[in-house]
Amino acid sequence: MTQKRHLPPAPAVAGRVLDAGLDLLDRQILDPDAVPVSTVDDLELTTPDDLEHLDPDSPPIIESLLTGPILLTRIFGGRLPDSRFIRIPWKVVADPGTVVRVGVAADSLDASWTERWMRDHVIARIPGGRHDPE
Amino acid sequence: MILSDLLGSPVVTAEGERLGVVVDARFALDGPPDGLLAAARLHGLVVSPHAHESFAGYERRDVDAPALIARFLRWRARGSVLVLWPDLASFSDDVIRLRPGATLYSPRFDSSES
Repeated sequence: MTQKRHLPPAPAVAGRVLDAGLDLLDRQILDPDAVPVSTVDDLELTTPDDLEHLDPDSPPIIESLLTGPILLTRIFGGRLPDSRFIRIPWKVVADPGTVVRVGVAADSLDASWTERWMRDHVIARIPGGRHDPE
Repeated sequence: MILSDLLGSPVVTAEGERLGVVVDARFALDGPPDGLLAAARLHGLVVSPHAHESFAGYERRDVDAPALIARFLRWRARGSVLVLWPDLASFSDDVIRLRPGATLYSPRFDSSES
C-alpha cells in the first residue's frame, strides 16, 4: 500500500475545508477585541452511536474547542480526564484563521477564568494596578 | 470523543492490511448553521504509512520552502492518503477499519496534483 501511486483528488465540498492539525490545533483564540482567550488544545466531537458499525450518513461534528493542562499528556502520553478540559462551544467560533476568533467577549468564557482571577485578586491589589499607566 | 482519540490510531483495510496511522482529520464546514459558522463535520482522515504525525502539512500544500526541509518532510509523509468518513466501517479497540472497496484519495488541498 505504500508504493508510489496516483491517487484521485478528494471530492470537492461546498464549504470551507479545515485540517484540524494544520488549521485549528495550537492556534491562539482571540475575542472580538483581540483579547487572548487561550489556545486550541483539542477538539470535542460528537460520538457516533455505534463505533462498531459507523453510519456513513452521520459523521462526527465538532462540538467544542478544548483547552486545558495538556502539556504532560503530550510529553508522556495518555489522556486528560474530560473534567479537566475547558470547553469553548463551536457555536461561538467566528473565524478559524491564522488565529481562531470567537464572537463573544473573553470574560464570558470559562477559558479565561485564570486571567480574570489574577486581574481581580492580584493585579488589582498592586498600587496603580486598577488604571492604565499615565 | 475527542480528536486525540482518533489521531495516532492505526487504520487497516477490510482485508486486514495496515494502511498507516491517522495523522490529521479533515473537516468540512458545509453543515447546517451552528452559531456563527456552519457545523463542521468530519470529512475524512489523513493517514500516513510512515510518519506518526504530520508537521506543517508540506505534503498537503504547495509550500516548497525551505527546499531541504520541504523535501525531507514530503519524503517523511510519502504515501499519505485521505480516507473519507463514508469509507470507515468501524472504530473499535483503537483501530479504524475501512469498508471493502474503500477509495483512497490524495490528501492534497490542491486537486490538480496528487
